[in-house]
Amino acid sequence: MPSINPLPPKENALFKRILKCYEQKQYKSGLKFAKQILTNVKFAEHGETLAMKGLTLNCLGRKEEAYDYVRRGLRNDLKSHVCWHVYGLLQRSDRKYEEAIKCYRHALKWDKDNLQILRDLSLLQIQMRDLEGYKDTRYQLLVLRPGQRASWIGYAMSYHLLKDYTMALRILDEFRKTQSVKTYDYEHSELLMYQNFVMREAGMYKEALEFLNENDEQLLDRLSVQEIKAEILLKLNRREEAAKIAQALTDRNPENWAYYKYLEDALQLDNVEERCKIYSEKEKKFPRATAPKRLPLTFTTGDRFRRLTDTFLRTAIRKGVPPLFVTMRPLYTDPAKVKIIEELALSYVKNLKETDYFDANCDTSEEKEPATALLWTYYYLAQHYDYLSQTQKALEYVDAALEHTPLLIELYVLKAKIKRHAGDINEGVKLMDEAQSLDTADRYINSKCGKYMLRANLIQEAAEMCSKFTREGVSAMENLNEMQCMWFQLECASSYQRLGKWGEALKKCHEIDRHFSEIIEDQFDFHTYCMRKMTLRAYVELLQLEDKLRSHPFYVRAAHIAIEIYLHLHDHPWTPESEQNNDLDSENLTPAELRKLKRKQKKKERKAEEEREKQLAEQKKREQQNKKSQDNDLDGPKEEELIPDELAKTDNPLEGAIKFLKPLQLLSPNLVQTHVVAYEIYSRKGKLLLMLQSIKRGYQIDKDDPQLHTCFIKFLLHVKKVGELSEGVKTVIEQEVGKLTDNKPISRINQEFLDRNHNSLPHLFAGGQMMYLIDPSTRELAIQLATTVSSNVKGVTRLVCIDVLDSLCKGDFGMCEREATDYQAQCHNIFPYATAFMIPDNNPTEPMLSNGSAS
Amino acid sequence: MNIRCARPEDLMNMQHCNLLCLPENYQMKYYFYHGLSWPQLSYVGEASNGKIVGYVLAKMEEDPEDAIPHGHITSLAVKRSYRRLGLAQKLMDQASRAMVESFKAEYVSLHVRKSNRAALHLYTNTLKFEISEIEPKYYADGEDAYAMKRKLPKSYSDEIECSIETVAGSLEHLEIEPPAKILHSENAA
Repeated sequence: MPSINPLPPKENALFKRILKCYEQKQYKSGLKFAKQILTNVKFAEHGETLAMKGLTLNCLGRKEEAYDYVRRGLRNDLKSHVCWHVYGLLQRSDRKYEEAIKCYRHALKWDKDNLQILRDLSLLQIQMRDLEGYKDTRYQLLVLRPGQRASWIGYAMSYHLLKDYTMALRILDEFRKTQSVKTYDYEHSELLMYQNFVMREAGMYKEALEFLNENDEQLLDRLSVQEIKAEILLKLNRREEAAKIAQALTDRNPENWAYYKYLEDALQLDNVEERCKIYSEKEKKFPRATAPKRLPLTFTTGDRFRRLTDTFLRTAIRKGVPPLFVTMRPLYTDPAKVKIIEELALSYVKNLKETDYFDANCDTSEEKEPATALLWTYYYLAQHYDYLSQTQKALEYVDAALEHTPLLIELYVLKAKIKRHAGDINEGVKLMDEAQSLDTADRYINSKCGKYMLRANLIQEAAEMCSKFTREGVSAMENLNEMQCMWFQLECASSYQRLGKWGEALKKCHEIDRHFSEIIEDQFDFHTYCMRKMTLRAYVELLQLEDKLRSHPFYVRAAHIAIEIYLHLHDHPWTPESEQNNDLDSENLTPAELRKLKRKQKKKERKAEEEREKQLAEQKKREQQNKKSQDNDLDGPKEEELIPDELAKTDNPLEGAIKFLKPLQLLSPNLVQTHVVAYEIYSRKGKLLLMLQSIKRGYQIDKDDPQLHTCFIKFLLHVKKVGELSEGVKTVIEQEVGKLTDNKPISRINQEFLDRNHNSLPHLFAGGQMMYLIDPSTRELAIQLATTVSSNVKGVTRLVCIDVLDSLCKGDFGMCEREATDYQAQCHNIFPYATAFMIPDNNPTEPMLSNGSAS
Repeated sequence: MNIRCARPEDLMNMQHCNLLCLPENYQMKYYFYHGLSWPQLSYVGEASNGKIVGYVLAKMEEDPEDAIPHGHITSLAVKRSYRRLGLAQKLMDQASRAMVESFKAEYVSLHVRKSNRAALHLYTNTLKFEISEIEPKYYADGEDAYAMKRKLPKSYSDEIECSIETVAGSLEHLEIEPPAKILHSENAA
């Protein structure tokens, strides 16, 4: 033992008991033994005992003392591997992994063959993806413990992750020589499947195939074996064999689309007739499977499509299958198919009404269709027209359905959706609430109702709605956070953002961000667990998933909301009033509605206040309970509490924005939006080169993206205005801008953008905005472009029109009250249900309220 | 809907689907625990836009009291807007087969709330489960659970698979493992 201060036998025995108590989580007893050693004057400063006392205190949640003791212990015995190891464990428990790795390395200096420390080090290295370091540590472990399975597997895996497949495979081969094989052994099967996985990653397809055949009897994951064989055989162009396996796979699971793809690729059929035959054979064999009936609809056209669709629709309508429309929806990208579907459905309505048959001239000896056939046809058509934004017709059909069957929940849900799509969220909430009241035991409907309420900025109501399915004794908000319920938190964040409650909105975004951190933390335990269980393929997939975790849409959306808010807070720093006066609905309320809303909100605030007090009391109660049960492991550091006001009062909003931006740049670089917001942040920091970089990255994805275009024009104007630039920066900018623009004048660049995209409203809007910005004298033309509603132009949707109206009201085109009022009236004609374009009857000249959202 | 074996990257979206549909919810780690212990056993139903519309989260019982290897359904859900396509049954069929092939399971078990008549109907009539016992106060809120079982065939050939096809249940509304159990679950450690 390298400790400078070895204990005599009696004390040493006590010390061993401290270690044992730590392992068995008997922390209080551990402290008692530590005290027995430390009260002896001779050992009052015994380093290892002090360190262990600290580590034990940490487990009892006494973090500050813990650090004191551990550091004091270490200072007293700098050559003790125990003290360093303990310091590492302490840092690790605080998730300071880089620091912990350093400590472990120090510990190993004094005891280089310590297995426990090596294992702990290897875990941190793989968690931090220090793959080279991981490989070295795994090597040490193999040398020290060659008899252990995990030593070999870990060492092989380190090479695999470093993409040194040859070495990884050699180690696995070597290891398998030492293994005796039982007849049924799941773990061995998984090991073989893992080796096969490495072979395929190495591109060794032939060998991988042979490997599967040679070891066939030991492989228990029969499905993977078949799937892999099909893929390899197709790659090797051994199509006959591939076809056989693909047949077996579709027989095993006739609802898997990929298997049909295998089958088609293997058979290489080039005419529709033969392709259809595959599917009709499967249909005969599996009459209840949907895929063989549905998939041919994607590649057939014209009369054949009509025939197949007709049968498909009739069967589903006869049976009453509510998801029929969502099943058909992917086909709606083809207008010819939409037309055929519409004709068929309309003919059903007509015939069913007249004769109770789908056909007009039918064999009346056959059984009539059930009465519900008409209902489901109405239901289908309502969704069909809703999808095509033909609100009027959609409502007619859903109302017809409601008249037919007044209490069918699906109809209320659909009607709510139609209203929401048409821009009347308040009606949507009412209808969804009705749907929900018809089946209060169904959480799905409850969730949808909560979502609609959040869309209508009724946050308190939404939380109450959701609380019907959350744990009792805790507020819904808290329980949903604990359960990582991100859809809810995301909708909440949007809602708070629309209400201008920046702090509350940021809190939700940070909560979501923390879930992602937590999920990355979750992998820690699996580093050892999977090595034991041998589920190594799944484990490697987990590592890959964690590496790109924040590319998940939940994160991307939360990050964008947070960044928008931080930008707003940069432009309009927080004041106590700014939070209060911003409670405007984004969908533009009438003044009367606004007064009502304010009254409602006052009431709500009072309620919220009471709620807060209740929660506080609950929290206190919980804390007390926690104190009682604090023998539990403290898993990870206590997170700092998120306080909305503090978040909104940030004195460095741009840093806050950048924290959310980084993962987007790293993991979502192929979304234009990433680079647009990056530009917005850097422009506020005045970082010219980073602004340019963002534009260039965006250009590589879509140089005609409207938002990116506005960034670019603003950038050019900005560069022109900033006179002095350092020589280096100037040269780079001139060079790069030259490449992007051929040194054309700014107005010409904008004009060419407009010319290229003259039939799309989002582009006309962006181009118009920039036209006015470049040259205010073009105002009239610029407004004309932005307010185009011609039917020849694409993208005249409610949401884009709301943006245009907002922009007019905000003064992007100078003062234009009249134009705004006119435009609003025009939009009202196009979107009669949208509350955003409603003109208050009593005071038609009152200007529109623009929303309080960040921009 | 496309039905396929779940991969680790599906687990987050399964959690999302679970939170929308069922009252018993779990943190991500519990999904990881399933996906990394028995990667063959969980299945998802996927719409063509890639959204998960239904799933079965399944495991093997780790220390079976009766010493007979058997599978267990932790959670099964289908979004309401995707019901009556027979998804629950199709998911269960695939998971059951994997239990037999990879783990030699002899039967599959699950729990269901006594009050959840819709789920009970699905399990009894469509999926041919039988009530094996009543577990008093199984759920955190004090409700009793029916413990149910279904015997699995010794091996699968595709002919057996299709003969199981029966009329699909109309309501796939299921809830299973109580969160209380998770707290002291066999989480990786």
